[in-house]
Amino acid sequence: MNAVLVLQSLISGIMMGSVYALLGVGFSLTWGVMKVIHISHAAFGLMGSFLAYTLLKWWGLDPILSLVISVPLLFVAACLVYRFLITPITQAKEVIVSSMILTFGIAIILENLMLLIWSPDPRLLTTAYTSKVLILGPLYFQYPRLAGFLMSAVGVLVIHFFLKKTLTGKAVRAAWQQSDAAQLYGVNLKRISMVTFGLAVASAGAGGVGMAFLYSFDPHTHNLWLIYLFLVVIVGGVGNVIGTALAGLIIGVITGLSLAFLPYQWVNLLTFGLLMIILLIRPHGLFRGEV
Amino acid sequence: MVQTQTPSRSFVLIAPILLLGLAIFPWLGLPVYFISLLFTVFLYVTLASSWNLIGGFAGYLSFGHVAFFGIGAYVTALMMKGLKLSPLWTILSSIPAGGMAALIAFIVGYPCLRLRGPYFAVITFCFAFVVELGVKNLDILGGPEGLWLKSMDLPIHVIRAILFEVMLVIMVFAISLSIWTSRSKFGAGLRAIKEDEEVAQTMAINAPKLKIQAFALSAFFPGMAGGMYAYYLTYIHPDIVFDVMISILIVLMALFGGGGTWLGPIIGAVVLTLVNEGLSTFVKAEFARIIYGCLFIGVIIFMPNGIMEFLKKGGAKQAS
Repeated sequence: MNAVLVLQSLISGIMMGSVYALLGVGFSLTWGVMKVIHISHAAFGLMGSFLAYTLLKWWGLDPILSLVISVPLLFVAACLVYRFLITPITQAKEVIVSSMILTFGIAIILENLMLLIWSPDPRLLTTAYTSKVLILGPLYFQYPRLAGFLMSAVGVLVIHFFLKKTLTGKAVRAAWQQSDAAQLYGVNLKRISMVTFGLAVASAGAGGVGMAFLYSFDPHTHNLWLIYLFLVVIVGGVGNVIGTALAGLIIGVITGLSLAFLPYQWVNLLTFGLLMIILLIRPHGLFRGEV
Repeated sequence: MVQTQTPSRSFVLIAPILLLGLAIFPWLGLPVYFISLLFTVFLYVTLASSWNLIGGFAGYLSFGHVAFFGIGAYVTALMMKGLKLSPLWTILSSIPAGGMAALIAFIVGYPCLRLRGPYFAVITFCFAFVVELGVKNLDILGGPEGLWLKSMDLPIHVIRAILFEVMLVIMVFAISLSIWTSRSKFGAGLRAIKEDEEVAQTMAINAPKLKIQAFALSAFFPGMAGGMYAYYLTYIHPDIVFDVMISILIVLMALFGGGGTWLGPIIGAVVLTLVNEGLSTFVKAEFARIIYGCLFIGVIIFMPNGIMEFLKKGGAKQAS
């Protein structure tokens, strides 16, 4: 094996992994805090990719700058979805299962809206720096990947510090650990849940842009992303931001290495097989921890 | 609440007449379209009723039942190709197809059924993907191009009629199993597992054994149905017979009608197949799917216990 090739795929794996992490953090939070498995998380993320694509095409807006528009938009949309669709089922006995089916419905609606608006053709984010490469010694870094990496790293850190340092973030953690006690201390659970959901979806939008930097996408792509989401969250531990981030990196590295040494069609098979095995051995994740 | 259901006397009278009516239906000379439509209805009734054994009675929501359907389709296709049997004869091959699906369910179910709630749902969901990708990567199974099957050397109308009758028989067996389960000790055990698995085990219910039996049985008929579907299409492709949407539709149908009852999945499957057919005839596919998505949301929000319970409750409200 070639050492440079290994190092190279390690680096590109970390870059991919950071994007998986950003995409997965919100999914992990909604699952952990609200006991809602948000199947349409990836579909909302894909909305972010398509919005970035359109804004780039219309106004030549840089995909990262387009987040200024798409993130608030997704936040509001998610709050509405939470208020009108998720709230009615949060009282049910089996929230987790019913939330899966309900949000599957949302995913189908979003997928077909995207099909109607953007057609089923695969798209690529082609910016001015798409084909530019930063060369450091024997290693090279593609600019779009670098941009996705930096954006994702910043995104994950922002979410982490939001949860640790801000009052709202602390309320989210309190609601996750002891929802009844948190309510006694004046945490408005409904509002907190709505904000968490909104932020999670908004971060998915950013994750979607990151994914669009890495891969081509079409309205069906979110199904594949969903598997990655499950993988990242289950490896990292539900509700665990740092765990999810680490899991994202690990999975990114595994994908990066297997992309370098395996035929492409076996990579997904490997990933899904890995998920099944981890589920069977450690269903609560590799990292024990809290939000 | 554990309840046993006894088919009422009127059901015992109506069922044979209904069956007879359905059995002679394809020979009435109606357009092939109606035979195909009913075939699809039977197919989904079979799938939803079988899924109900593990998903409805035992409360283990399998989101990957399409895997067993697809496995059945491929086993049948391979038998047609490999053994070069005459197509008419190989209708019997749907039995080994079901057997294979049940065997795989048994092997996969053994580790997977230790997981509960969402984890079981996720692992079955992934299982279906793994099987699909595996099939796509195996050249012997046609890979991503799929397999062409030789059709029977008969007029289309007769072929469809034969498949219709076979599917009817499979459906009757699947429903009978479902009815038997709802009345037997087996079903009571599964319901106890759904209520509370720990309590069930302290009551000397062998939960792991019951679960795996239910899972294998719930895979058997989808496997057979998949085999029949392979004949029906004469062309199978991983994207078609492993379509995630089928998995989800099965779950929706069973829950729409009411999981954990034998009648619920039948009603759900009949209603939703007809709705789907109506939608895909009159509106654009994308809009049809959007309406379907709304249905998912509506079912979960307004009738989490199924339409039968919903109608009953509505009636009770009016009466009081």
